[in-house]
Amino acid sequence: MIQLLQGLFDGVAMGAQYSVIVLGFVVIYRATGIINFAQGGFVLIGAYVTYNVSQTWGWNFYLALLVSILVTAGVSMVVQRILLQWVLRETVGVALLLVLWAVFYFNGWGHVSAVATAAVVGLIGYGVTRRIEQHLGTGQTKELPVFGSIMVTIGLLFVIKQIVPSIWGFSELNMGDPWGLNVTKVGGLVLSHAKLWTIGLMAAALVAFFAVNRYTKIGVAMRATHFDHEAAVAQGISLRVVFAVAFGIAGGVAALAGTTAGAGIAQLTPNLDLVVFFAFPAMILGGFDSPGGAVLGGVIIGIVQNLTKVYQPEWDLQWLGVGFDRVAVYIVMLLVLMVRPYGLFGTKEVHRV
Amino acid sequence: MSRPWKDLKVRYQDDLRLFGSPTLRAGLVVMVFAYLFIPVWWETFAVTRLVEGWGLTMTTLNYAGIFAIGALGLNLLTGYTGQVSLGHSVFIGVGAYFTAYAGATWGLPFWLWLPGATLLGFAVGFLIGPFALRLRGNYLVVVTLGLVFVGDHVFRNWKSVTGGNTGVSVSKASLEVGPFDFRDLTLFGHGFEKQQSFFWLIWGFVAVTALLVKNIVRTRPGRALQAVRDRDIAAEIIGIDLFRYKTMAFAISSAIAAMAGGLYGTLQAYVSPIDFGLLVAIQYIAMVILGGLGTVHGSIIGALFVGALPRVIDGLAKDYDLPGVGGDKGGLGGILSVSSLNHVIFGLLIAGFLLLEPRGIAGILARVRAYFKAWPFSY
Repeated sequence: MIQLLQGLFDGVAMGAQYSVIVLGFVVIYRATGIINFAQGGFVLIGAYVTYNVSQTWGWNFYLALLVSILVTAGVSMVVQRILLQWVLRETVGVALLLVLWAVFYFNGWGHVSAVATAAVVGLIGYGVTRRIEQHLGTGQTKELPVFGSIMVTIGLLFVIKQIVPSIWGFSELNMGDPWGLNVTKVGGLVLSHAKLWTIGLMAAALVAFFAVNRYTKIGVAMRATHFDHEAAVAQGISLRVVFAVAFGIAGGVAALAGTTAGAGIAQLTPNLDLVVFFAFPAMILGGFDSPGGAVLGGVIIGIVQNLTKVYQPEWDLQWLGVGFDRVAVYIVMLLVLMVRPYGLFGTKEVHRV
Repeated sequence: MSRPWKDLKVRYQDDLRLFGSPTLRAGLVVMVFAYLFIPVWWETFAVTRLVEGWGLTMTTLNYAGIFAIGALGLNLLTGYTGQVSLGHSVFIGVGAYFTAYAGATWGLPFWLWLPGATLLGFAVGFLIGPFALRLRGNYLVVVTLGLVFVGDHVFRNWKSVTGGNTGVSVSKASLEVGPFDFRDLTLFGHGFEKQQSFFWLIWGFVAVTALLVKNIVRTRPGRALQAVRDRDIAAEIIGIDLFRYKTMAFAISSAIAAMAGGLYGTLQAYVSPIDFGLLVAIQYIAMVILGGLGTVHGSIIGALFVGALPRVIDGLAKDYDLPGVGGDKGGLGGILSVSSLNHVIFGLLIAGFLLLEPRGIAGILARVRAYFKAWPFSY
């Protein structure tokens, strides 16, 4: 019994992370119709920025978490503008920033001065390109076909996954979270503080998202955009803003999930982005475009994964192999899809002939 | 009757001809010539020695050939039928492990294990296909992604067949076809090295596969597949059995992949689960996209490109001191390793190609051809 409860608790903690990651997918999918594989990259960036601010700079951990959420949300928005909407002036600005940062750094400057100088030049480049665009009367945004966008995000994942360890290295790092290895014992249950905080933070993020989605103007705009792009535009909703907010939310929750995934007993490694691949079944299970489904799917997948881990040795299923828990979630996903091809809460696509 | 213009077509058969124009026929001659003599002359000419200096050895060409076979299979499914599959590497793995097992344990000859691997791939695809193809679009992408993880798990844990994490040797699989042994080929009293003889073997199969795929797509089944891609409901209304055609496309694509896997195993002589992971699956889809979706020559060019790129980057990084790129030390202290650089460039290429030329290299070629068709007049 204790074993079951422990498995459930760990499962809910893991599932909370999955829910939040999936929420990032779902928000982007609802707004733009693409699956953002680069979410794994944002998880990495978020976790490492938290590490950098809290450990290297020595700031308070919760403040570091906040900084990380904001930074990752910003990166995510910039990525969306540049790669998925292909805005020239921003592309020029960011390319200048990155290239000059690398050049200065390899000529012996420190990271901070290199970034600052490169940012100034990048801003100038942005302004100049903007003037030229205004002069020529261009500057229209361009949209890619859906499958193309998915591949672009995969390409981006490759790039981020290499750049992050090139800055922070491959070794295991300690996140510097205040939870550490502390536990609270309730009966026979071992409640790790990191997991309790994970559940709490994720629940707060989910509540905040649902409140925004339900009661604010931008939430209404996002729901309208999901319903029908053209009708939304006709009502005066700016797709640019909706897309940017969607990517911002996705980046922010990715940072939150990445930080908690690297906290506690788990150490911070560049393989942290794999958590995203185990969140995919949760997204499918709940349905691509349902935030509520994301939460439920995440929790179900987390519980399934943990209970498999707990009961596999007990039920003599060792022949299924090490790491079967990670495959079990995909099997659950397949079984659900056989019955409901659009997940538990996904909107069924209606095709007109 | 002489034609008013070389490209004028008056019959449907003319339109279907594989090498219908003088340029294409000349290209065919060049390709046959290259196929026959590249392995013999590779070390002789200054041009090819220069290319080899960049890292493009016969080995690279052979791997690219295997990629080309796999990419042709994937293109049939993704390019022509419109079903995006991220799980192609699993079927490559099925073929490779079958070859290892059949070659070592059963000692089958070449003409049995290769069809065996192909059939096994067909069977696995035939069984999985109906489940996967019940879904559409994005759901299919994620489900086939799941296939990679399940396949990887099986490859790592079915130790009696796959050797687990460490992998298994394929060097026992026989490569004797009649009087020729492609591991140690002797022709006209001249002995050839392994890579040279493999070139003839592998690129021969590339040609056969390309012909097969081309023949599928230019006849009735192929037109049905393309109708399914363009609009599946309309296709069903004009009498195309969606389930049957989608399943067959999936099965044939997996069969071709398994064949490529068998050849891959014998070329590499050793396979382990890492050869069939997510990265490989993404590489295959990248080949198809970079080459050009829904074109046969595009798949081959894409495979050459993706196969050669890492070698060229390795070679260049060795010869020239690229700023910020350090040997194989890994990314310590703000330095990208060469393999990281490879990944970065690969990722940027996928993104860049899709943004700038979504139709891939085949699209560029088509534009060049369209330009020269009416040259020097642009319209």
